[in-house]
Amino acid sequence: MSEGLNYTFLIDTFFIALSGVPITLLVTIVALLIALPLGFLLALTRINQVPVLNWFSRIYVSFVRGTPIIIQIFIVYASVPLILSLFFEKYNININVYNINPIWYAFIVFSFSTTAILIEVFRSALSTVNKGQLEAAQSVGLSNFQAYRRIVIPQALVVALPNICTATVNLIKATSLGYAMSLQEITLKAKVAANVGYNYVEAYIDIFLVYIILCSLVEYGFKIYEKRLRRYKYVSA
Amino acid sequence: MLKINDIHKSFGNNEILKGVDLSIDKGDVVVILGPSGSGKTTLLRCINFLEKADSGQAGFGDLKVNLHGASKRDIHTIRQKTAFVFQNYNLFNNKTALENVTEGLIVGRRVPKADAIGIGKKALDKVGLSDKYDSYPSQLSGGQQQRVGIARAVALNPDIILFDEPTSALDPELVGEVLTVMKNIAKEGTTMLVVTHEMSFAKDVANRVIFMDGGVVVEEGSPHDIFVSPKEERTKKFLKRVLPEDYTFYI
Repeated sequence: MSEGLNYTFLIDTFFIALSGVPITLLVTIVALLIALPLGFLLALTRINQVPVLNWFSRIYVSFVRGTPIIIQIFIVYASVPLILSLFFEKYNININVYNINPIWYAFIVFSFSTTAILIEVFRSALSTVNKGQLEAAQSVGLSNFQAYRRIVIPQALVVALPNICTATVNLIKATSLGYAMSLQEITLKAKVAANVGYNYVEAYIDIFLVYIILCSLVEYGFKIYEKRLRRYKYVSA
Repeated sequence: MLKINDIHKSFGNNEILKGVDLSIDKGDVVVILGPSGSGKTTLLRCINFLEKADSGQAGFGDLKVNLHGASKRDIHTIRQKTAFVFQNYNLFNNKTALENVTEGLIVGRRVPKADAIGIGKKALDKVGLSDKYDSYPSQLSGGQQQRVGIARAVALNPDIILFDEPTSALDPELVGEVLTVMKNIAKEGTTMLVVTHEMSFAKDVANRVIFMDGGVVVEEGSPHDIFVSPKEERTKKFLKRVLPEDYTFYI
């Protein structure tokens, strides 16, 4: 017989789910810190047709885009310990690979997949900046690095920002798959709490709320930053 | 001051420059004329290394460089001695007019910021934009943008300014303001190499006119030589096409 929603549990579990936020954010931030520069550099190799690397990024992108994240998680979570234990055995290092905190696997998987998405984001954003901007910068004596840092990237960033925001929000949501490798994030914590009294509906509602709050805040932050960056486009004459 | 020898450049199978020589003295205002596709713009871009020539030498005072295999350092040195004004302005969209002018000074040449701002304001005053220091390119008309482009070049105090069809992208009624600015800086003794279709500028301001066609220099001389008594058949044909029938030229 149904007893309706258990409101006490709903509220208690909301805070349990909320306690998973730091881990979710940590994974997101580490993944972004790795993926942003790496994605940018690999996007440059594609735009400038750098031999080998250009080819590598292309395969990398299609490989990541063509596989579900959950499968990437399973592969990393299953194969990395195997490789590590072989390695440790060979060199007589006494570490139990099965005691490694799953957050390390989360770092690997999520930076791996986010890099691929950001390569495409940066590639399209960089190609919107007219080549003349770079040439003008060179002609006034800026080095390539200075020209990119001061002229090209600030303009490309304005274009890229909405897509970086989408990628970030997608990443936050994707970390919920971390429960598959027992990462102590929002989803896992709420689910574990629900296991005790089978209060799954309440737990799912809590998870839903936590993600929607988190993602809305992130989107809002991006919007403010974007407004600041694109000052030069919308100043009134 | 600037000597270019035997410069060649192809894009794929299309040979654009077929051995062009060029020599410019300090204070010269040299105008390059020619039909489109004759290699004028490519020549200019090769001098500033925006395009890599297939072969050729450039002499810049004492500095001799191979236009094909110049080192990064030589390229940097030459870019410090030259400035470029682009056909479609290419102002930095994310910078104000003043920042556009000071960018090359502060970042490219390490001029102290306060000095650079002083130089930048003076350059913008010179092109008649004293009230537009803080405007972004998106707020300026084409003519104003091009004048900022010229100020950006002038502020660098280069040995020579290269103009690549500076008025071609402008509405006809805006051409005048840009040409006036160019005439003024020419009067101050700035060395200029100008690719243009503005015959009046060539006649009134240039002290030498070069006619290019098919990737070679066909004829060169004073404006009088070229416009009044051209020797080559191709030059005559070109001038007949671009100058109105009843146009008489006085000098």
